[in-house]
Amino acid sequence: MTAVLDKPTTATASPLADLRSTLNAALRGKPEVVERVLACLLARGHVLLEDKPGLGKTTLAKALAAAVGGNFARVQCTPDLLPGDITGFSVFDQKTREFEFQPGPVFADVLLADEINRTTPRTQSALLEAMAERQVTVDNVRHKLHDGFFVIATQNPIDHHGTYPLPEAQLDRFAMKLSIGYPDRKNERDMLAAAVGKADGREETTRQAVMPAVLAGIQEQVAGVAVAGVIQDYLIDLAAAVRTHPKVPLGLSPRGLLTWQRVAQAWAFLAGRPFVTPDDVKAVAPPVLCVRLGPNVPADVIPGVLATIPVPVHPK
Amino acid sequence: MGRDLPARVGTVALMAVAYATCEVAAYADGRPRAFGVVFGGVLLAAAVLLAVFVRRPADPKQRLPWTFTLLLAVGFVVPLAGEPGLRHLLGEGFPLELQVVNALRTLGLLLAGLSAFPRLRRLAAVVALFLALFASAMGDQPAIPYLLVAFALCGGVWLVLEHRAGTGESVAVRGEVVKRVALRLPYREAIVFGVLAVLAVAVVVAGPKRVMLTLGELVPTSGGTGDTDPFARYGVGDGPEEVAGDNARTAGMVESEKMIEDNKDALVDVVSDLYGPPHKPRKEQEKMVAGGLAEVIQNHGKLPDNRKPSRDFDTSRKGPGDARKPTTSTAARGRYEVEGRTPLHVRIVTYVRYVADERRWEEGRKPGSRLLEHTGGEWMEVGGQPPGGWYAADDRHRLKVADPTDNLVPTPANVRRFRIQRVDKADYYEWEYEGVLTLAGRKKTPPGVVVNTDCRTLDPTRLGEDCFPTVGFNPLLAEVPEPLASDITRIANGWAGHLPRGWPQVNAILSKLRTDYTLDRRARAPEHHPAPVLWFLEESRTGPDYLFASAAALLLRSLGYPTRFCLGFYAHPDKYDPATQHTPVGDDDLHLWPEVLLRDGQWLVVEPTPGYEVLPVLKPWQERLADALTTVGAWAGRNAVPLGVGVVASTLLVLFRRRVADVAFTLVWTVFPGRTWRQQALGTVKLLERRAALVGNRRMPGETLAEWMARLPNSDTTLSQLRAVAEWAAYAPTPPSADIAAFSREAVRSWTCRRFRGGVA
Repeated sequence: MTAVLDKPTTATASPLADLRSTLNAALRGKPEVVERVLACLLARGHVLLEDKPGLGKTTLAKALAAAVGGNFARVQCTPDLLPGDITGFSVFDQKTREFEFQPGPVFADVLLADEINRTTPRTQSALLEAMAERQVTVDNVRHKLHDGFFVIATQNPIDHHGTYPLPEAQLDRFAMKLSIGYPDRKNERDMLAAAVGKADGREETTRQAVMPAVLAGIQEQVAGVAVAGVIQDYLIDLAAAVRTHPKVPLGLSPRGLLTWQRVAQAWAFLAGRPFVTPDDVKAVAPPVLCVRLGPNVPADVIPGVLATIPVPVHPK
Repeated sequence: MGRDLPARVGTVALMAVAYATCEVAAYADGRPRAFGVVFGGVLLAAAVLLAVFVRRPADPKQRLPWTFTLLLAVGFVVPLAGEPGLRHLLGEGFPLELQVVNALRTLGLLLAGLSAFPRLRRLAAVVALFLALFASAMGDQPAIPYLLVAFALCGGVWLVLEHRAGTGESVAVRGEVVKRVALRLPYREAIVFGVLAVLAVAVVVAGPKRVMLTLGELVPTSGGTGDTDPFARYGVGDGPEEVAGDNARTAGMVESEKMIEDNKDALVDVVSDLYGPPHKPRKEQEKMVAGGLAEVIQNHGKLPDNRKPSRDFDTSRKGPGDARKPTTSTAARGRYEVEGRTPLHVRIVTYVRYVADERRWEEGRKPGSRLLEHTGGEWMEVGGQPPGGWYAADDRHRLKVADPTDNLVPTPANVRRFRIQRVDKADYYEWEYEGVLTLAGRKKTPPGVVVNTDCRTLDPTRLGEDCFPTVGFNPLLAEVPEPLASDITRIANGWAGHLPRGWPQVNAILSKLRTDYTLDRRARAPEHHPAPVLWFLEESRTGPDYLFASAAALLLRSLGYPTRFCLGFYAHPDKYDPATQHTPVGDDDLHLWPEVLLRDGQWLVVEPTPGYEVLPVLKPWQERLADALTTVGAWAGRNAVPLGVGVVASTLLVLFRRRVADVAFTLVWTVFPGRTWRQQALGTVKLLERRAALVGNRRMPGETLAEWMARLPNSDTTLSQLRAVAEWAAYAPTPPSADIAAFSREAVRSWTCRRFRGGVA
């Protein structure tokens, strides 16, 4: 019997594997989280990591930033952070007698917004234009960001003191929201063993696994993964069911639907398939939907919708 | 499946009722033919299967698949195309408009079957409504109103289910997706309504009628219909008109208008009108002397016996004329109204002697004794010999005189007692003939009189040889005229001579006449034929009911059974009016039949005429149930071989239903594997899904192939390879580099029903 699947034989397979192993080395025992972060990266979406303190959110974000190379910037969000601290600002040059624009951290390739919910909504909103359109406007001047601009934001769902929940418009800019969770016993043991002998407690430095240009090429390939009409109908059916679900306060926006399709394409690409299947759509549904359906959505809503809408197994 | 499944089933039920209504309305006798019932049953079963198993389209506005379109077209065309064949096969057919209706109802059932498509569901309901309206306009059979009530109930339920099917799902309204609130089925209300409906029906059927009628009076009407007394309908008076008194002439029924001479029909006119006047010899010329008005008045409007026209019944008649005058009365719709079980024979005249030369029956004599006794409670008991032990429970009837021709007190045969309210003295009545009761001294029974009767019923099959007397009766009752005797005896012996004496012999004569002879009221014997009965028995085999009755009477006499010939009214069950719960009896219901004398002096009504029946015995429900079981058992015994084959085949089919279905599915897959690689791959997955469904491992609609296969027992690489192929077929723009046929064959071979169940292939 001959092989059924044609695995991608492009040169991208090796950098992807390299990137995957690099991230897995940085975040032990969480391959599924790494896989989703990769899907988000390949879909050119931004990711929001939400979990309790100390579970590796920042570690993962830093490792990803280091692995994909390019410029990396980190913003530690605090209540006194101003929008200009992120986007940049104009200063008056005494010599030239002109205002000169000083770019902020948003002009990096990878931006880590740590504890994003600790800054004010005004500052959070500074990221809206950057995340959606990959540009910022300062003093009526539009500044274009890098093509591979990628935001990793983290937030702590437990400690609510002095935090500002992200507005829905901001949440909709993220492709997915991920939780990392506790590692299992074996991985925790390995982690403890690896820490012995390291006096300063610093984490290992993550090497660059993929060049920005290569990454951009892979992202192009992902955008070209085929999506059949029945899959798009399936996506629309799911979106309609989510929008009309009585327990969902906020429906899925068209931008969210587009994001869902892109992430499903990336998921199919990661599986080595040149087309999207309903399994891809369902696999990425929870992280894509949970970030944009509004607060207090019961956990059974998304599985319920996925189990209810008929899967187009036998297209007409 | 889904929320619309009840609506689908409801649509099929609605259409089935409409179908049945059309089937009943298509035949004048209201009895659907076996072929129609079987064809409808098969269609209904197909519709139910389609309604349950056809999957609902994801998009309600999706175009109908061509297979279903073809099915609908075939469903419409087949009844039209098959009509010539049916005419040849069954010997009867339908006019063009009924053919179109037949085609429409077949189409309607198929539409109902495909009611997974919402548009077809609504279309089926519209077709059902049209058919029900058409049937109600076309037919007036007694069952039609009940079917229409059933249709209305189904329609109401269907509306609720259809409304519910449209709720709870998302719809696009002017570009916006709107979710309709899911409707809860009103189970509680339905149960309350059902209980109330059952109670209401129980009150109407078994409750105190007077209460119901009084309640009905609260509803304003145009008046004049006599709602408090159903017997007073149709303008034949307004309730009982009897008053108490000692003198029959003054204290009997009140006649509001004394009509000494009127233009109403006498019985002889009615008989001549229905059967035609007798042939009269040309030589004989009658002289008619008119009586003066004063003479008539002196006799209180009743002619003395020597002036009365003869009531003899001539069996050589000219047949009814073409232009018969209408027999409907403006005052009443019939001569009598009957409340109670029908068919019912009401005697008017009895005949004893058949005069062969004159081809006529001579009327019987008036019995000497009155044999009536007032037993209290206004009931008049009919005396006579002690009744035999072969009678079943008494049956009660109410007969209302509406437009009488004479002074007859209408009573069923074998009446045991009767009551006309306060008219409770034996002097008020007299026996005109044996078993024919009249009002003494009156020309006509007043309209409005209600006669309550209790009559004996009997099951003739229980009559043994000793129930029929051999001696001690009027010899004229066993007399067969000499010119006919040899032929009649020969025929009778040929038909029943070999049978034991008693009911078997009587029944053989009756059965032969009922099955081998044809009723035709317009048939008539040749004018100069010396023996119309023999002409009927040996030549024409077709004739009016008086020839059936005459032949049966003479044949039974030749076998030694004392028999007489009766003229009377026949209350036909088909004329039952559900609105009034009465059966009207008109001039068209004049009928003749023979009666056989029993040992206890009672007369056994027998029916040799096809289409006429005798009042069946009144049995308790246990006995009826036992009879039904006995009948079913007897039928099963007669058809033991085909029934056994059918039961064994059905049992095997049920036991091996999965295997049979699997073989059928696999056969379809083998014969139609699919033209393209996509169809081949998806067809194979479909076959495996069906196999899994047969053993309870169905893929849920929301499950992907991978999820479904992951939970299957013993899932292996063959299955996962097939899944990959199917996913390529369903979602990829280009074919995979794989031998799809080989994958398919391998998967079908290794993944049998048994393996899907968890066993080894």
